[in-house]
Amino acid sequence: MCPPPIYLDHAATTPVRPEVLEAMEPFLGPRFGNPSSLHRWGREARAALDEARERVAHALGANADEVCFTSCGTEGDNLAVLGAWRARRGTGRRAVVTTPIEHKAVLGVAHQAAREGAEERFLEVDANGIVTAESFDALVRDDVAVCSVMWVNNEIGVVQPVPELAAKAAERGVVFHTDAVQAFGKVPVDAASQRFDALTISGHKIGAPKGIGALYIRRGTVIEPLMHGGSQDRGRRPGTENVAFAVALARAAELAVAEREAECARLGALRDRLEAELLARIPDSVVHGRGAPRAPHILNISVPGTDSESLLLALDLAGVAASSGSACQSGSVTPSHVLAALGVPYDLSAAAVRMSLGSLTTEASVDRVAQLFPALIQKARRLAGATT
Amino acid sequence: MAGTIGAADSGPTTGRVLVAMSGGVDSSVAAALLVEQGYDVVGATMKLFCYGDDVPDRPCCSLDSINDARRVCERLGVPHYVLNLESSFGHDVVDNFVQEYARGRTPIPCVRCNTFTKFRDLLRKADAVDAEWIATGHYARASGGALYRGLDPNKDQTYFLWGIDRSVVRRMLLPVGHLTKAETRARARALGLQVVADKVESQDICFVPDGDHAKVIARRLGPDAPSLTRGPVVLADGRVVGEHAGFARFTIGQRRGLPGGFSEPMYVVAIRPEERAVVIGPRDELLGRGVVAREVNWLADPVLPGTQVTVQIRHRARPARAEVVRLEGDEIELALDEPVAAIAPGQSLVLYDGDRVLGGGFIEGSRATTPRRASLPVLGAA
Repeated sequence: MCPPPIYLDHAATTPVRPEVLEAMEPFLGPRFGNPSSLHRWGREARAALDEARERVAHALGANADEVCFTSCGTEGDNLAVLGAWRARRGTGRRAVVTTPIEHKAVLGVAHQAAREGAEERFLEVDANGIVTAESFDALVRDDVAVCSVMWVNNEIGVVQPVPELAAKAAERGVVFHTDAVQAFGKVPVDAASQRFDALTISGHKIGAPKGIGALYIRRGTVIEPLMHGGSQDRGRRPGTENVAFAVALARAAELAVAEREAECARLGALRDRLEAELLARIPDSVVHGRGAPRAPHILNISVPGTDSESLLLALDLAGVAASSGSACQSGSVTPSHVLAALGVPYDLSAAAVRMSLGSLTTEASVDRVAQLFPALIQKARRLAGATT
Repeated sequence: MAGTIGAADSGPTTGRVLVAMSGGVDSSVAAALLVEQGYDVVGATMKLFCYGDDVPDRPCCSLDSINDARRVCERLGVPHYVLNLESSFGHDVVDNFVQEYARGRTPIPCVRCNTFTKFRDLLRKADAVDAEWIATGHYARASGGALYRGLDPNKDQTYFLWGIDRSVVRRMLLPVGHLTKAETRARARALGLQVVADKVESQDICFVPDGDHAKVIARRLGPDAPSLTRGPVVLADGRVVGEHAGFARFTIGQRRGLPGGFSEPMYVVAIRPEERAVVIGPRDELLGRGVVAREVNWLADPVLPGTQVTVQIRHRARPARAEVVRLEGDEIELALDEPVAAIAPGQSLVLYDGDRVLGGGFIEGSRATTPRRASLPVLGAA
């Protein structure tokens, strides 16, 4: 009958890992306490939360007090960029710097800072999406409050030289934040040796549930909280802590770090195999960001004369889940701001399909897509030829 | 025309069908009926304009409606997609809507949406997913490559469907075309589609918030566009009897917003954009005995001059008997048996033979006197 469906959208979200589910389960049941309570239920929850914080810190090369649990990547980005801007705006540092290829969470929050009086500056990226050193030096000066550069781009997978950029920013007294939602588990992240001041991670990209993330905040970096209320998480993030999910994030983060090298080698080999097959079968296809270092799990490909929306529908109906990399709330495909920033012509960016590999990806699934995708392309082109 | 026309006899009851789903009761029931009939249903909601946070909830096309369509598909166990047709809809429908008002006409965007967006652009998506059929919740019937009025005379929507390509009719499935609205709602309840069964019907144009089309014009052309700025209200003889706040706010036959003090009721009888003038007159100046339409499209073989047809010049207007007096290229002229009031340029003229849609066009103007058929023989007309 129908072959099993193939999930190639791990950059969107991943299934909760069994180890993670097992680790969190007690905190949904018997160990349900509120970590702020003084009784034994509370103490038990508090101990679990503190331990989870330590384990996340360890996975990041950080101290436990530098880890703030959040509800998602978007919250981490908001807290870091807006929090740093608001804490520093009285100091003469008026600018917020970011890149045009950020996740909407960072772009949106930079726009918000601009509404609050910040000067918004955008770094230049080259045709592969890498921030140019010249524009970084030109824009990240001592009048900048906060600079945010995403480590691994969620649409095309390119890896920014974050350790170098963070070191330069530190020299200029600029708070440096990086959205590492796609990077964590794929590139080495170590707060002890790398100079970023704030770093966002998200649980559901690494096998923890949706609804949990963390923001690393370096000691000494002042961030104004977004929410006000109790003193949880040192007042940085008031609200009763999600103990079960914090435990889940800790377990998932540990696994991601432990398995990083092996999993990256596995995914990289599968991605390269898929990419080589597709390029061979569709010689005029374009792989975005191919000229730069890329995380091993993302392949973003455009075939001239096709459109992403139709391809994604046809793929889904054939049992393959992929994405265009950018979608709006309604779930419809929208033109990619990332590809536009790279200077990709509109027709080509409107044809982009992102395939992202992960725990569910096997050699067999990649090979099936390598067969199926070119067949769909051929049909799409035949139709396009018929209507023009 | 026998009474057996329905969706089911227009082809084999298998194959894949792309169903355009607005999130309303009609298209939801259409999808459900097709699932029942054994089709491989794929639901699609067209995203036609931007849903900003500041757009108030609309009965149709709002984000909630997309969610409703998705829930219905989930319940039916069929896939659902949101298709972004914003840029072509903006160009083919919204831009034209604004330009038509600027020309002093009363546009009918639903016709262009059907012609270009649903039954051309969406049809391409159907091709892309190997869907042989395309379905909507329109109250109309397609059979044997011909299009017929919906069985419920109060709901019939063929007035909006004359512009589609004739070859597309063969691929159309219109499962609610033989139902009344009440029957459709009953089916929705019976099918467990409570989400949509009792939804309020959308009456307005989907992209016109609060029915205030001047706002849409202002957004596209600027608030000082000529069609939105003050001009004279005049009588047919040119006498100025008042002032108006923009001729785009008026349509032929309108009474609201006109100066008073006349011995008989006055109506808008013409709009002259070059003078920004709104012309008013008594009811008999509103009557047309002939009508001219352009951009004619045929869903049947073209009718020759001399043919008797029934025509409709407005949605829900009573069909009128008429004779074709001229057909030149994509322009047609008809003589009306009885005078018809308020023939508005920009609206559709749809030609029928009984229940069958023969074709239609956009009204260019009306004639106060009955046009005569040219006495030349039409020998050799193809």
